[in-house]
Amino acid sequence: MTSTAQELHPAPTLEPGRTILELKGLEKRYPGTHALKPVNLAFKSGEIHAIVGENGAGKSTLIKLLTGVMPRTSGDVIWEGKPEALATPHEAMALGINAVHQEVVLCRHLTVAANMFLGEENSRYGILQQRAMVKDAQKIIDDLGFDLPAHVVLGDLTIGQQQLIAAARATVRGTKFLIFDEPTAYLTRKEADQLFKLIRRLKGEGVTIIYISHRMEEVFELADRVSVLRDGTLVGTRNIAETNDAELVKMMINRSIEQVYHKEHFTPGAMIVEAKNLSGKGFENVSLSVRAGEIVGLYGLIGAGRSEFVTTLYGRHRKSAGQILWEGKPVQVNSEHDAIRLGMALAPESRRDQGLCLNLPVGLNLNLPIYKRISSNMLISGAKEKAEADRQIAGLRIKTPTRSALASSLSGGNQQKIVIGKWLAHGAKLFIFDEPTVGVDVGTKAEIYRLFGALLSKGAGIILISSYLPEVYELADTLHVFRRGKLVATHGFRTANHEDILTQALAEKQEKLGGQK
Amino acid sequence: MSTEAIAAEKPKRNYNALFGLTLLALLVLLWVILSVATQSFASGNNISNLLRQGSMIAILAVGQTFVIITGGIDLSVGAVVGFATVIAAMLINAGVPVFLAILITLLVGVAIGLFHGFGIVKMGLPPFIITLATLTSLRGIGLLMTNGNSISINNDAFQEFSRSSFVGVPNLFWMVILVGIPAYIFLHHSRWGRYLFSVGSNAEASRLSGVNVQRTIYMAYTLSGLCAAFVGVLLASRIGIGNPTQAEGWELQAIASSVIGGTSLFGAVGSVHGPLLGAFILATINNGANLLNVNAFWQRIITGVLIIVIVYFDGLRRRGK
Ligand SMILES: Nc1ncnc2c1ncn2[C@@H]1O[C@H](COP(=O)(O)OP(=O)(O)OP(=O)(O)O)[C@@H](O)[C@H]1O
Ligand SMILES: [Mg+2]
Repeated sequence: MTSTAQELHPAPTLEPGRTILELKGLEKRYPGTHALKPVNLAFKSGEIHAIVGENGAGKSTLIKLLTGVMPRTSGDVIWEGKPEALATPHEAMALGINAVHQEVVLCRHLTVAANMFLGEENSRYGILQQRAMVKDAQKIIDDLGFDLPAHVVLGDLTIGQQQLIAAARATVRGTKFLIFDEPTAYLTRKEADQLFKLIRRLKGEGVTIIYISHRMEEVFELADRVSVLRDGTLVGTRNIAETNDAELVKMMINRSIEQVYHKEHFTPGAMIVEAKNLSGKGFENVSLSVRAGEIVGLYGLIGAGRSEFVTTLYGRHRKSAGQILWEGKPVQVNSEHDAIRLGMALAPESRRDQGLCLNLPVGLNLNLPIYKRISSNMLISGAKEKAEADRQIAGLRIKTPTRSALASSLSGGNQQKIVIGKWLAHGAKLFIFDEPTVGVDVGTKAEIYRLFGALLSKGAGIILISSYLPEVYELADTLHVFRRGKLVATHGFRTANHEDILTQALAEKQEKLGGQK
Repeated sequence: MSTEAIAAEKPKRNYNALFGLTLLALLVLLWVILSVATQSFASGNNISNLLRQGSMIAILAVGQTFVIITGGIDLSVGAVVGFATVIAAMLINAGVPVFLAILITLLVGVAIGLFHGFGIVKMGLPPFIITLATLTSLRGIGLLMTNGNSISINNDAFQEFSRSSFVGVPNLFWMVILVGIPAYIFLHHSRWGRYLFSVGSNAEASRLSGVNVQRTIYMAYTLSGLCAAFVGVLLASRIGIGNPTQAEGWELQAIASSVIGGTSLFGAVGSVHGPLLGAFILATINNGANLLNVNAFWQRIITGVLIIVIVYFDGLRRRGK
């Protein structure tokens, strides 16, 4: 094989509007879960087809069936008029179907270029053409307008950047049919815009696209048609021009939501934590404070130093300068253990790596921080353990057959609920939520925000990190904007407008980019 | 975006090479110290001896490294070496041409590797377990076949091979080069080598990319078995007997060499030159300690300390980057 992977797949030559892929009674059962009840759906060539639905509705399952990741239980998939088995990822790729899966599944240890061409390496007489591959990868990335290097190790990029690489990679493989499963979950607005540009461009080239998202505005921005899944059943398909937000939400959850961003205001109480000129790896000279009853929002691009700041506060990393005051007194937080003992709780941003023990049961994951409380002496109280877990599962409507199902078998959004849920019962004074609603559906979002209110009313304070501006904007009493490791602006509740905040988060970068090009 | 990528753009593609140079420097340093401290170290005889000692572990370590990169472990290699000496000895004594005897012995190694792959991929056994099982049972099978006796090989040409040299370098060391160069190309410059890394890094991602994960695992263990059987042939040639209890504990030395050479037991990190250097560092320490009349018990302790120190510093550098 001497050609690059790009040349392997010829450009699609399909007239638009024709049915390219049809699902007939497609069905999937997992042990204990009927994830997808027979679904009939046709995708038209060249359309952007959005799929929306609650966490656990079966969206990702549908994608896994289409890309050969999982075998289907029954039903047919008709591709360009012919039934296809789609038994392996390879088979799907050969047809020109590929997906950017919900969790970034790439190899952290390999370079960007190696990941781009993984499984489709360019080699001559069995010898990898490494330099050529880096060059080709760089060309693809540059073509897409992503300003990223191809020769670096993937694990050194931020999650958002990895997500962009995953998208770029998919375009090489899915030359006819591309699926994006919640691609913007970890992206900032700017990265999301780059991605949207890419998606529109692919559409222009005749590629059919499935777009899954929990963010309605994205669906309306991008899609031509939208299908709604509920409990594994296809509730309906609409042309985007003939529907609206409220109708889709109602179809999704079978009830309507008046207000997603539920905000209660409390009079700020005593000071809980204060960072004074704190510096550390990834951020410098940050001063901010959190009072009881207050939500402090941190907004910025991914990589702006917000997560590094809170993990340092939490004792995960060493601070290099500055001071932390806890309830007015200077403290040393040398480990997570110290932080938890003081009364901090952190729900981290990356659920797969930091937030969950994937191959342990849901109940154990939920109870992990509170085993001290539900055991007497050394022994765990089995009854309390069960009761606590079940209470959380019911309270957050975590979709799982039982509390003893493995965390890995839950849908992405439901895993996220565990990450949040495990701290809610903990009774901490300061809660740090790093991107708490990534991949969470509208109904549950509203539920989580309501729980924020409940925490505040009990006298706790919250640090809320989000790359999703509306979230921090509508919830934070104090909103700090981070840019490249520095705190660059501070606003009160709804005192600035979106535009200004975005500019503050981006400003320097745009100058820099402008200067380069 | 560019700003966020800056941290990543620091070139560390040469990390592997740099680490290799550090190990090489350590090895040279040891040699210099020992040449000064003892009279006999720098003698041609001793160096040849050292190279012979290190060569066999070095080849085992290369195969072991392939397995460790996929996130697995092969505990059976020592037993395979012992078993292979028996097979080779029996075949040669039965009058099978040496060339054919070697080939068959190597095929036995391949078969053992395939069996490991089967156990892991098809039966879902953890690598530690399946290779541990082979470790004990192969020794048993070997003892059954030989009734617990050693078989002395009656073929002088076969034994001559491991004792002689070519252009002043022991033949056994040439074997390291014979294995090392293709192994290097395989691991760092072929797609199959790349898949060893990708499976060790993220098996799911590899599968979704169309990589045949199962075949990759089969391949890793087969190569490890093949290397071990090859070492078995070399050992049979060196000691002139077939004995299933030979090479006791060599699997641990191979793992130690691999780890000293920068292989991560968590998978996805490793090279070919690292384990080779690691094996010769270990051999040098043993050799030097003998010459210095250091108690053999101390040698083991030194090896243990060395493993901790090297892996610790390697980890520090990786984290600190
Ligand atoms: N490997 C598995 N084993 C058992 N059950 C599974 C497995 N994968 C998914 N499920 C179940 O199938 C159902 C559908 O999951 P799916 O991942 O398709 O949901 P989703 O619509 O993508 O949700 P989200 O918005 O949270 O990503 C869920 O109830 C989930 O728990
Ligand atoms: Mg999903």
